[in-house]
Amino acid sequence: MLVLVTAGVFTLIHLTPGDPIDVMMAESVDDSVKSNLRRELGLDQPIYVQYATWMGRLLRGDLGRSIRNGEPVIENVSRRIRPSLQLAALAMAVSLLIATPLGILSAARRNTSVDRVGTTFALFGICMPNFLLALLLIFLFGVKLRWPISGYLDPLEDGWPGLRSLVLPALTLGLALAAVVTRTLRSSMLEALGEDYVRTARAKGLSEWRVIRGHVLKNALIPVVTVLGLQLGTLIGGAVITEYVFALPGVGRLVVDAIFARDYPLVQGVVLLIAVGFILSNLAVDLLYGWIDPRIRYR
Amino acid sequence: MRSSALDANLHRRDFLLLCAMAAGAVAPTMAARPTSAQTTPKKGGTLRVGFYLEASTMDPHLSGSKVDRQIYHNIYEPLLTLDVKLGIKPGLAESWQQVEPKILVLKLRKGVKFQDGTDFNAEVVRFNFNRMKTEPKSVRKGEVASIESVDVVDPHTVRINLRRPDAALLATLTDRAGMMVSPKVVQERGAELERNAKGAGTGPFEFVEWVKDDHLLIKRNESYWNKQGGPYLDRVRYRPIPDDTVKLQSLQAGEIDVIDYVQPRDVAAVRADKNLVELDVPSLAAFSYQLNQTRPPFNVKSLRQAVAYAIDLDQIVKAVWLNVGVPANGPVPPTSWAYDKSIPPIKRDLAKAKAKLAEGGKPSGFPFTITTANIPINVQEAEVIQAQLAEVGIQAKIKLVDAATQLSDGNSKNFDMISYQWSGRPDPDGNSYQFFKTTPGTSLNWSGISNPQIDALLDKTREVSNQAERKKLYSELTKLLQDELPMIYIVHPIEPKAFSPKVQGYEPIPDGMMRFKEVWLK
Amino acid sequence: MAGSIRGSGIAEPATAVERPSLRPVVRGRRWEILRQAARTRLGPLGVLVLLLAVTVALLAPVISPYDPLKQDLGHTLARPDRAHLMGTDNVGRDVLSRMIWGTRVSLLAGFGSVALAMVAGGILGLLAGYTGGHTDGFLMRLMDAVLSFPPLVLALALGAVLGAGLGGVVIALGVVYTPTFARLMRGQVLTITTREYVEAARALGAPGWRVAWHHVLPNAATPIVIQASLSVAFAILAEASLSFLGLGVQPPGASWGSMINAGRGYLQQAPWIVFWPGTALFVTVVGLNFVGDAVRDALDPRLRK
Repeated sequence: MLVLVTAGVFTLIHLTPGDPIDVMMAESVDDSVKSNLRRELGLDQPIYVQYATWMGRLLRGDLGRSIRNGEPVIENVSRRIRPSLQLAALAMAVSLLIATPLGILSAARRNTSVDRVGTTFALFGICMPNFLLALLLIFLFGVKLRWPISGYLDPLEDGWPGLRSLVLPALTLGLALAAVVTRTLRSSMLEALGEDYVRTARAKGLSEWRVIRGHVLKNALIPVVTVLGLQLGTLIGGAVITEYVFALPGVGRLVVDAIFARDYPLVQGVVLLIAVGFILSNLAVDLLYGWIDPRIRYR
Repeated sequence: MRSSALDANLHRRDFLLLCAMAAGAVAPTMAARPTSAQTTPKKGGTLRVGFYLEASTMDPHLSGSKVDRQIYHNIYEPLLTLDVKLGIKPGLAESWQQVEPKILVLKLRKGVKFQDGTDFNAEVVRFNFNRMKTEPKSVRKGEVASIESVDVVDPHTVRINLRRPDAALLATLTDRAGMMVSPKVVQERGAELERNAKGAGTGPFEFVEWVKDDHLLIKRNESYWNKQGGPYLDRVRYRPIPDDTVKLQSLQAGEIDVIDYVQPRDVAAVRADKNLVELDVPSLAAFSYQLNQTRPPFNVKSLRQAVAYAIDLDQIVKAVWLNVGVPANGPVPPTSWAYDKSIPPIKRDLAKAKAKLAEGGKPSGFPFTITTANIPINVQEAEVIQAQLAEVGIQAKIKLVDAATQLSDGNSKNFDMISYQWSGRPDPDGNSYQFFKTTPGTSLNWSGISNPQIDALLDKTREVSNQAERKKLYSELTKLLQDELPMIYIVHPIEPKAFSPKVQGYEPIPDGMMRFKEVWLK
Repeated sequence: MAGSIRGSGIAEPATAVERPSLRPVVRGRRWEILRQAARTRLGPLGVLVLLLAVTVALLAPVISPYDPLKQDLGHTLARPDRAHLMGTDNVGRDVLSRMIWGTRVSLLAGFGSVALAMVAGGILGLLAGYTGGHTDGFLMRLMDAVLSFPPLVLALALGAVLGAGLGGVVIALGVVYTPTFARLMRGQVLTITTREYVEAARALGAPGWRVAWHHVLPNAATPIVIQASLSVAFAILAEASLSFLGLGVQPPGASWGSMINAGRGYLQQAPWIVFWPGTALFVTVVGLNFVGDAVRDALDPRLRK
């Protein structure tokens, strides 16, 4: 299956017009240098030969080197993974902070105004295009309040300024994610609240809050974990637009930049890694799900 | 609006005025200069610079990108340098003499050492030129193609033997082709030089580290040979910030101190901002469109001329570039000694445009496609041009492409009219030869023009060494180009730079390179 | 999740699919569903928005106050006033007019790409479900492969290959959404063909396509329609995202995404260029979501308490 993905990427990227060497050396014209470089990198071979070579190297664990900066693809990715992971983690934290109380309250006070607020928020969050949200936040904080909104500082190294550089992008992604989580949490809570054991607990005279905290919450959180896990893949590889607008050196932007520069090895390598990551996280979620919820195991 | 040429002169005059004045210059938008006793430069501090792109390599012989040059001009030094008027000044070479048309003798500065401690001498120069010519990945081969060999006359004199007279060589040596790299570093480090340039140059700063996607750090070279003036800064930290809005906002928020380019649309706001200093730096760059002469519709000269007459350059420069630039009359920018202000840019003339259409057999207009890069200002300009052309019935379609596709389309001549941005070279040869000389195969001559008269002119500009004579030749060339129209030139942009008011001592040179030797922080 | 092209729409309809009806769908039930949907408070609101959008799109030449392409270089970046209700953009074009015409693009892109995905996915799903075996396996692997692609990257690459323009975007998005529909259809095929009445029909000698036509499709229609209504909303968002990155409608054509992208550099001077089309985008997507939700809620037996 991965073969399909990689073959697909390969074909696709090679079909796009444009040549990485031309892009690298836009302002100089020495043809002989360019053709030498092409020969050295094997770019003058027919497509299937190039693919075979790449596959061969891959099986030996070598993802190749980026054409633009000559560094191994692995290094390029690992350098960019940190900001992406940090952003993803922060976004998830933000979303949980917002969604948990909202989701619980919505379900507990179903069809009241609180619920309406929660569902409306969820709906709006899902429908808001994230580039629009990003621009809105930039407008509010950058233009009106004159806060700094530039690139990236590592919170692990620079502490507060680092965190500050990630706040707005994390908000952008986190709000949207919160919408999804709120929805999921609400519906799973509703489902859990309708279960027999809850009715029993209530009959026993336990307060609503005890019921929720004791029994419902744990079960309701399972689908939430699922959703978060699935979204992790999207967060890392798909936060392209957010990374662009906030100038964060993440994996998403790496891929897009590589596509624009026709940096074939980098594109293939990164897409492969993202796909693998996605598959792995799906697998992990499946396993986790099966482990937590015994009912599922015997399907 | 006054004629464009006059505006260009005003800009230049402003600069000369500024340079002649002492620190605390009159014009409030210009950065103060430390030449008077009013403020004495202070040592120390880290200058934080925001750039639009990441550098690609630290080896000047292998570099093909403009951004790299910005850093090179601080850690490496070329044999010759430029002054504010683009005149040639001594660099690592103290003096030069064109002994014969094909022999150039350079006398090198004494007592210069590389940052790794090795000596700079004639042998080093020979080593560097050989490397540029023979290193397989060298991108400088074309630039030094006229050099046959380099002889060491004595430890501080080199003789450069040329294959043919090359009047543009001196200017070429003010940039990467003249930059001297320590042979010891090359031999010991090999390919690693591209990431790590510690000790490799002779410049006022030396390379410290490069963390990709994050920053590039250089620090003051304590053993710099030139004890006059700077360097004052402790360190300079370059940060790549690809987004213009974010870059500007970083500057406004005080996260960085300098940005290399302010978009025309932001210039007014930056000028009005009391916490920033804006500097208009006229550049060598040109923005133009190449017209494909190898296929219809632009294989017909009068149709090319029709388009040129239908375009309103003044309106474009005013509305799209917001007057951050001057309308262009050809490849030579107003900052150059070769600029002929008596040749006006092509003025809009709808009657002439219609006449040319009829002459070309398309009296009611014709359709074609404008291929342009997907950058906001390009898009805007293309839209304006489209509307202007529509007034004479020419229907232009716009095709947006990314940079790679643009290069590929251009190189393979797969376009009708394609946008082209050239960052410019100090010698007019760099702005013209490779675009207009008949060249089979792939080259920067995207239009495919092959005109014997132009070819002859171009060759002559390289042979003649007298500047006044060359200027006349370039005037002739400009007039011919306005008739033949392989390219329609639109504007010579000004490259506005913005600074935090702490930054003092910046001296703008029209090649757009930011040299920090004399810069200090208040 | 907003901004991610696929959106979270996939997870939700699964609940409705788990308990398909036990009989072939009868006409009366459809009316019941519609009535149910209409009773939700938000459903009709969403339909209203949708109708508004369609009307605006159709009547664009009539209601647009200015030619959306007409430049007025003397009045660029003008604040909203009586002459230009929503201001002008960087070459002096009326923002309101461009927004109106942009509706066409968004709706075309949204419905077009989903229609494409429905047909392509439907056929593939049918094929996979019916033939089973290796074909099924291969097709589903193919669909999984496409699904595990980061959607934006896929769309970008496809867009670069197919060239710019609305057509390219519609096709690219169609490809991105096809696996969802293929999987859905296949699931339906598998569930329904194991029903007794179908097996009975087959035993009686009814040819495959007949079974498909009379039994599978009507039953499958429901979850597919639900998915479609949700996907359209995301497709519109996706087209805007791609336009934002420079694909899609070429200038000087107006599309909400490209307007937002063009206005990005003018946030300080002229925020209305970004925020009016943004609002239009948001409202349309919300409305479509209302419709989708209402239909889904109406069909989900469990929530029908």
